[in-house]
Amino acid sequence: MATASATPADRFDAVPARAQVSLWSDAWRRLRRNRLAAVSAFYLAFVFAVAIISLVWTPYSTSHLGVVTPYGGPSGAHPLGGDQYGRDILSRLMEGARTSMTVGVGTQIVVLAVGITVGLLAGYFRGWFDTVVTLVINIFYGIPDLLVALILVFLIGQGSLGTIIFAIAVTRWMDMARLVRGQTLSIREREFVEAAKASGAKPRKIIFGHILPNALGPIIVQATIGVPSAILFEAFMSFLGLGIQPPTASWGSMAADGVNAIRISPHIVLAPSLALMITLMAFNFLGDGLRDALDPRQRR
Amino acid sequence: MTEPILRVRDLETKFFTDDGVVQAVDGVSFDLMPGETLGIVGESGCGKSMTALSLLRLVPEPGRVTGGEVLFKGNDILQMTADEVRDLRGKDLAMIFQDPQSSLNPVLRTGFQIQEAMLAHHTADRKSSARKAVDLLKQVRIPAAESRVKDYPHQLSGGMRQRAMIAMGLANSPSVLIADEPTTALDVTVQAQILELIRDLNQELNTAVIMITHNLGVVAGLCTRIIVMYAGRIVEEGPTKQIFKNPQHPYTWSLLRSLPRVDADRRERLRSIEGLPPDLIHPPSGCRFHPRCPFRVERCYREDPALAQVAPDQRAACWVTMDRAYKEMNAGELVDVRPGAGSGVNPGVLDG
Repeated sequence: MATASATPADRFDAVPARAQVSLWSDAWRRLRRNRLAAVSAFYLAFVFAVAIISLVWTPYSTSHLGVVTPYGGPSGAHPLGGDQYGRDILSRLMEGARTSMTVGVGTQIVVLAVGITVGLLAGYFRGWFDTVVTLVINIFYGIPDLLVALILVFLIGQGSLGTIIFAIAVTRWMDMARLVRGQTLSIREREFVEAAKASGAKPRKIIFGHILPNALGPIIVQATIGVPSAILFEAFMSFLGLGIQPPTASWGSMAADGVNAIRISPHIVLAPSLALMITLMAFNFLGDGLRDALDPRQRR
Repeated sequence: MTEPILRVRDLETKFFTDDGVVQAVDGVSFDLMPGETLGIVGESGCGKSMTALSLLRLVPEPGRVTGGEVLFKGNDILQMTADEVRDLRGKDLAMIFQDPQSSLNPVLRTGFQIQEAMLAHHTADRKSSARKAVDLLKQVRIPAAESRVKDYPHQLSGGMRQRAMIAMGLANSPSVLIADEPTTALDVTVQAQILELIRDLNQELNTAVIMITHNLGVVAGLCTRIIVMYAGRIVEEGPTKQIFKNPQHPYTWSLLRSLPRVDADRRERLRSIEGLPPDLIHPPSGCRFHPRCPFRVERCYREDPALAQVAPDQRAACWVTMDRAYKEMNAGELVDVRPGAGSGVNPGVLDG
C-alpha cells in the first residue's frame, strides 16, 4: 500500500494493508478456488471453441449421407460412429454444439436486454409502469411456456435460429425482469442513491451508474443459470421436430433421429444426450460457483 | 446588512401514511447567513432530518412538502422545476449523510464518485475532475490522496469514508453544506477530527454549514447559532453560548441537564427527560411539550405558544419560560423532573 508517509492523521485512519482489490477481482479469486466451477468453466470454454471451429472445420461433412456405414458403431476413423443415414456423429456433435451455444447465449442476450431494461424502469419509477410490468410477468408465468414457444414458431415460421431464440426468449425473460426489478426496489432505497440524488445526479445516471452496477452479481448468476434452460428448451423443441430444421444438427434433433434405433444402436442417442447433459451440468456448476463467488458476505 | 443565503419560511412537511397524516415539519422558519454555522438539535423523530431533506426537496415517499418557502438567494426552491432543483443540489447546496458506509456506492471507486458530483454539473471535464478529486481528498486531510482515489469504499476506514463524503459535498464549492448527523456513525476520536475538519473548511472556504444533530456537544464546539426542535417545531433559537448559559424553553433546559458533564459534582445524577416524544399523527393539544414538561401551567394544555423574544437575539415558544420557572417554581433546586413537578399541575388533572 502506498501510505508510506505517516502523517499524524493517518495513525487513526490507516487501514490494515490490503492490495488494491476490487469486488470483481475478489470474486474472480474465489471462483478460481472453487474446483468444480473452474473445471466447468474450462469445459465450457472448450465447447465454445469447438462450436467456433465447427464453422470452418469438421472431420467430415455434417450433412453428406453415407460417409460412415449407417448405424455404424465407433471406430478409429469415426470415434463416435455414424447415424442412421451414415453421417459422422462427431462432426454433427460439433455442429450441434454450435447450435446449442448460439441458442443458449443468444437467448440470454435477448433476455438480458429486455429483463434489465424492464426491471430497472419498473423498479425505479414504480407507479403504473410497474403495475403493468408485474401484471404482464404474472400472465406470462401463467401460460405454459412450451405452448407459447410452439405457437410463436408456427406464427413466425419454422427453422431459423433467430426464430427459436426469439421464441425461447419470450418464455424466459420474466425471471430476469423480476430479479432486476426486485434488486432495483431494494437498491433504490439505499443511502448512496439518496446521496447521489443530493449531489444532483439525473435519474439515468442513478439507474445505470449506481443501481445497475450493484445488481450485476445476481444478474450474472441468473444469466448463467438461464443458458442451460434455454439450451434444454431448444433441444426439446428440436426433439419434437419444431426446432432447428434438418440437415443442420442440434443435440435435440440428433437424439430424436436415433430414438427409433435405440435398442440396436444406442450410441446415436447416447452421444448427443451425454453432450447435452454434461454441458447443462457445467453451466449449473458455474452458476453456483459464481453465486458463491459474488456473494460479498462470503468474503474469505 | 448582508442578505441571508437561505431564508426558510413556515416550512411544512407531512407524511401521508396509512395510519394518518404525520406532521413531520410544522411551520419552521429560519435564516442562514453566508458563512454561518447553524445547528439544528433535537431528539430522534423531532423533524430535524426532514427539515434538511425538505430544503433539497428530497423528502422520501409518502412524505411531501406541503407549504412554506425556501428561498435560496431569493429564489423559492419549492417552486422550482425538477431540473432546476437538480441543478442546485450538489452544486450550491450540498448534503452529507449520517452513515458514510452506506452513503458511498460500494462498487465504484472513491475518486470516481467525487468526480461524478463535478461531471453531473459540468463544472469540470473528466481530466480536470480527476485532478480535482485528488486535491479535494487532500483538502479533507486524507493521506496519500493520489492512491486513495483508486480505492473502493470498503478499503477506507470509517473516518476516511466520511472525509470522502465531505470531499464529494465540497466538489463544486457549494455555498451551503448541510450535514445530517455526520459524526453519529463514527467513534469518538474520529468524531472530533471530522468536526474540526468541518470547522476548518467553514473558515477556509466560507461555506455556510447547517449541522443537524442530536448531540449538543457537537453543536457547542461548532455552531454559532442553534435551533432546538421538538415535535416538528422550533421551540427555541438563538446564539449557542447564550442558549447553553441561559436556556428559556423547558425542553432545551432538560436537554442540557441530560448532558453528562466532566466538571459536575460527582454525586449529581444525570436527568433524563421523562416520557416519550409525542405521536405526531395525534399531537398533544396546546404546547406539544406539555405532557413532559415539569413547569407546565394550565394555559399550556389549551393554547399553543408561538416563538417570542425572550432575550436579545433569543426566541422561545413557551408560556412560562425558564426565567419564571427559576423565580416562581424553584427550578434551581428541582430534583424531581416528572411532568408538572415544578408547577404542581399534576398529570391526571387535565390529561384525561
